Amino acid sequence: MIKTSTSPRIVLFIAKKEYCEVMHERTFILSILIQLFIASFSTFLVIGLTSFYDPTALGQFDLQSTSVSIIGESDNKLYPFIKNSDVTPILDDTFGDAYTRFYNHKVDAFLMISDEHPEGQKIIHINIYLPKSDLKATLVSLQLKVPLEKFEQTVRNIRTKRLEGYTPLKLTFIEGSLKTTSTYFEFIYVALLPLLMFTPAFISGGLAVDCITEEFERKTLDLLLVSPISLLDVVNGKILLMAVIAPVQSFIWMILLMLNGISIDNALLILVLVFIIALILVVISSIISLTFKERGIAQLFYSLILILLFLISYLFTNSPLNMVTRLSIHSIGSMESIIWICGYVLIALLLYWILTGVVKTHHNDR
Amino acid sequence: MIAPILNLMAGWSTIAKWEFFRSKQKFDKKTLMLLVIFISLLIAAAFVVAQTNLNMNNDIYHVAVTDPYLIPIIETDQRFNCITVNRSTAQNLNINNIDLVIIDQKVYSSDTEKSASASEALEKTLKKYRETVLLSHNDINNTHPVWLTIHYLERQEEFHLMENEQDKTGTEQSIPEKPQTTNINQNDIETYTQEAAELLNKEPSNILPVNKEQVQQISKNNLLQKQTVSTPSNFAPPIPFTAVMYSFLFLFPIYFVSQFYSNSIMDERANRKCELVLVAPLRSVDIVVGKTLPYILACMMILSIVTVYSKGLPTSMEVIKSSLLILAILFPIVLLFFAVSFFCAILSRSFKELTFGMVFISVVVSGYLFFPAMFANVHAISLISPMTLIVNLIEGDTIKAGEYLFSTFTFYLVAISVFGFGTFIFREEDLFTQKPITEKMLDCIEMYLLHPYGSVFILSIILIPYVYMAQLMLIVMLFNLPMPYSILIMIFLSAMVEELVKSIGIFTLIKRKMVSTTLRNAALFAILAGAGFFIGEKLLIIITLAPIGASVFGLVMSMGTLLLIPLIIHITCAMIVSCGMYYTSTRWYLPFLGLATLLHGLYNIYLLRGIIFD
Repeated sequence: MIKTSTSPRIVLFIAKKEYCEVMHERTFILSILIQLFIASFSTFLVIGLTSFYDPTALGQFDLQSTSVSIIGESDNKLYPFIKNSDVTPILDDTFGDAYTRFYNHKVDAFLMISDEHPEGQKIIHINIYLPKSDLKATLVSLQLKVPLEKFEQTVRNIRTKRLEGYTPLKLTFIEGSLKTTSTYFEFIYVALLPLLMFTPAFISGGLAVDCITEEFERKTLDLLLVSPISLLDVVNGKILLMAVIAPVQSFIWMILLMLNGISIDNALLILVLVFIIALILVVISSIISLTFKERGIAQLFYSLILILLFLISYLFTNSPLNMVTRLSIHSIGSMESIIWICGYVLIALLLYWILTGVVKTHHNDR
Repeated sequence: MIAPILNLMAGWSTIAKWEFFRSKQKFDKKTLMLLVIFISLLIAAAFVVAQTNLNMNNDIYHVAVTDPYLIPIIETDQRFNCITVNRSTAQNLNINNIDLVIIDQKVYSSDTEKSASASEALEKTLKKYRETVLLSHNDINNTHPVWLTIHYLERQEEFHLMENEQDKTGTEQSIPEKPQTTNINQNDIETYTQEAAELLNKEPSNILPVNKEQVQQISKNNLLQKQTVSTPSNFAPPIPFTAVMYSFLFLFPIYFVSQFYSNSIMDERANRKCELVLVAPLRSVDIVVGKTLPYILACMMILSIVTVYSKGLPTSMEVIKSSLLILAILFPIVLLFFAVSFFCAILSRSFKELTFGMVFISVVVSGYLFFPAMFANVHAISLISPMTLIVNLIEGDTIKAGEYLFSTFTFYLVAISVFGFGTFIFREEDLFTQKPITEKMLDCIEMYLLHPYGSVFILSIILIPYVYMAQLMLIVMLFNLPMPYSILIMIFLSAMVEELVKSIGIFTLIKRKMVSTTLRNAALFAILAGAGFFIGEKLLIIITLAPIGASVFGLVMSMGTLLLIPLIIHITCAMIVSCGMYYTSTRWYLPFLGLATLLHGLYNIYLLRGIIFD
């Protein structure tokens, strides 16, 4: 007797059984913990990074002003530019003096500028000496970049007049009261949010591999199939649960982010998208598990496919990752988003159709 | 003499051979073919992605312009999506859907975070556009008149020892900064001066670009390489956290192989497959070593390839030496990863649990590797992470033996002890039963305490690196809470970890009825556990901090009487739990643990009062 039919009652029963197992093993809690850890780690990175790129944005992490040394006299071309910036310049007569000062941590960088005039023909050459340490060098360079760019602009204002047919594009920025860096904003919405939203879906895919291969390896599947339950029922039940728990976790993330003052638009649509992507991943991992029946191999293929999908998602605008970004900051029209979500639903259906085929051949093999 | 050694070797080498052939069997022809196909697909996809822009922030900002000539300029950046509007609609534009409005030459932004961010992004885009236009003139001396040459000079780091929450030694006053002595090398100055003078006087064409193509070549940003020549506009600060990026490169293979390893262990348990091996005349150590060795070898082989990739082919003695050093640093990391995955595979009751356990543990260990590494060259604490050393080696520095010991010491310690605990319960009743995880953990401790060298005193010492790791993780986790609360929670949680570690041995002794429950015993074990923890803690500080600076060493040593108070606190807190269980029962373990935590936490708060209630 070949059982290929599936009944919703049995599917729900299997899903419930899996749910009890997941809850019993407290794996769910562990999963939340993992994600919390990843999130805190990212926030740490964000705060760290933004405090470099825009020290003023985080008043409480006030950085000490940096001093640099310039080799030359007080009529040095660079001196006024640096004096008008966040960096304190000190003048030194010789390279040796500056180097000693630098070595003794009195200054964090020193500069040496060639004799060429801004009105001249030749290139103005500046040597910058930075400490080898990662963070200090980053910090000093960030602060030095501003006056150096201003200096470059001044020289350019003189010299670009010599160019034929060059008119600089001048746009005036009328700033609102709010000032922010795009780095911070984009890190939150482009990197962090999509990652947090889809991590549960990635985990669900891995869990599906475990659930299905376990039945094979522990040989419990045969027992299940003796009862009036078909293989499709079993697989469906597992898929259902794994696909449903992903948006639930994403929802928890949203609440946490919102509590932290990060507003998220179109929350419902994002959750729908997460559900569909989780479904796609779980169906893919079910196909893999049914084909290989061995956990190690199945997990390997699943992670390879996951990386592949990740790479592919960088190739087009409305990839799931970017779509979460665009949805969350209201940068996508409702028509466009619905069309794309329908597209993903179609992919999920197609994959599910392949899965039923795999299940059937599996039955015929028996 | 040699025969028994050979005999011992035969045991684990047979298992190792067996393991090797079995894992070969798993990959039949079909699987291997599919694997090759997928990996080549991956490489192809990676290649295609590298050729195009990363579409990870496409069309996130909407801009309305009145002058259509601006559209192609703004849309050079994929983040922007432009529409043309006429002047009258631009003024009444519903600002909700549009982030920026450009009327004539003026850019208007609204007061939302998104709009402000779009405005800043546009500024950067226009700067980039300006560079492109200027470059097309191909007249470097007029378009790019200023050039920077960036040099990185070595200098001795000055370390301010951070006041960390774990410091219970009662020294909240900051360590007086030693006046730096000028031990600068006069020769160095002379060579550098000469070099610098030469650089400045040289015809710029030797170092600086003369045409468009060369400028483009220079402007190509390489994420990991430090810039040496640049214009001020292109001057990109060296990316911090290179250590984190390298860590990813090295950790991926370790993570993959340890997946297979834990799966193989789990496999043995799934169908009692291991039963035959267990009845064979082999010690469980042999089985564990035999099963582990092939995977460690495979992992080290993959890591050697990664090392060659990051360090270049070993052509000179120097490259060989630093490559070998990198592998020597990676070895304890591999060992730790494998130890925890081994333990995880023994504890978990199902594949699902194993997956979660593995992910959890990899996240924690990676966190331990990443977090301190982010402070590479900034703070002494970064040396805790071996990744810092790897970065130093890749950048061509050398490392000292003391530094190696400092950063890998805890790794070796934890890895070996985890393997030890796991081997203790590598027996039928733990492998093939569905015992709860807590019971299995108690089994480990019971087996350890039954061992001739086992005692609660040494147990406390062994568990100290775990406390270290746990506390470090807590710092990361609590980072997103506001300031005073995070420290308060941190103090109590880390106190709880310490109390748990001290009392877990005593709990096992009483619960498993390994000793007679008398008041004398309860007090004795409390003293042993407390003293063990105290000594271990101080030993670790001395061993690990010694390479950083003698001043710290001296500080710890000179504290003298101050050491007495923490010792008493450690013993008292252990005593609360121990005697508490004596007077009631082990069921009251958790409440008494809470009480001890409270006392310990309050003491720590008293010590750190200056920092918290500032």
